[in-house]
Amino acid sequence: MQERQFTIAELSRYNGKSGAPALIAYHGLVYDVSASFLWQNGSHWVLHGAGADLTDELVDAPHSAELLKRFPVVGILHHADV
Amino acid sequence: MAKVAREMVEKTGIDVDQLVALLVKNASAELTTFYYYTILRVNLIGLEGEGLKEIAETARIEDRNHFEALTPRIYELGGKLPGDMKVFHDISACPPASLPADPTDIRAMLNVLVEAERCAVRGYTYLCNLTAGKDHRTYDLCLAILNEEIEHEAWFSEFLGEGPSGHFLRRGDTSPWVGKFLR
Ligand code: HEM
Repeated sequence: MQERQFTIAELSRYNGKSGAPALIAYHGLVYDVSASFLWQNGSHWVLHGAGADLTDELVDAPHSAELLKRFPVVGILHHADV
Repeated sequence: MAKVAREMVEKTGIDVDQLVALLVKNASAELTTFYYYTILRVNLIGLEGEGLKEIAETARIEDRNHFEALTPRIYELGGKLPGDMKVFHDISACPPASLPADPTDIRAMLNVLVEAERCAVRGYTYLCNLTAGKDHRTYDLCLAILNEEIEHEAWFSEFLGEGPSGHFLRRGDTSPWVGKFLR
């Protein structure tokens, strides 16, 4: 599963809405945050949405990328998109 | 709604609807934490648990106070609390502080308590950053809450052996910072 490659377009389908899994990319890795209470319906703090590369958005967050380690990596973002 | 008060915040460039949504989420976190801490406090018994009961109770009451203090600001800015309590629970800014599977495991209890406080410290820090120098009243309120959340974190963190914070338990009234919003 870890080998799976996602393009940005594919990733956008995993936006946590209508039963879709909630996947987010950070520095080239794709994490599955579907199990998180704080990512219900793919929405995080009404500020961020799943199905996207959130690398740049973490800069404003009141936490580090450390919290991502709580969730499984399910693939990598396609090289051309990183 | 306080029309001009909202207008002043809008003029600073803050997305007021988004800010209100964040305040509602945090109000939910406070009220649900009050609820879950009730269950934690009830289970803080035995030789190890009893020593934690009082600070858990103080944190519980202060979290309820935070809910009380946030609510008027939500309505002033033109927002409202959801009519459905189930919806309100599920939009909380922090995960439920649920009772650990083994409530006699005091370290597990402490982890739940400290994680809940850490989530709150992060959240109010974000809200302070968002409103600083712009929405003075929301900033003042969030800063007051942040002051109390930081103390809660320190109390539980000391019990976990993470080092001293220099704090004592509350002496006198609860909510020394947020109290001014409750009068
Ligand atoms: C900039 C606005 C953001 C805010 C205000 C915010 C706020 C928060 C808060 C308060 C928590 C709870 C922390 C705790 O339990 O101590 C959290 C958890 C988390 N955040 Fe954010 N965050 C933001 C952006 C992001 C971004 C951009 C990402 C992804 C790249 C992200 C990923 C996560 C993850 C994975 C968790 C852990 C969730 C869990 O344990 O269930 N956050 N966030």
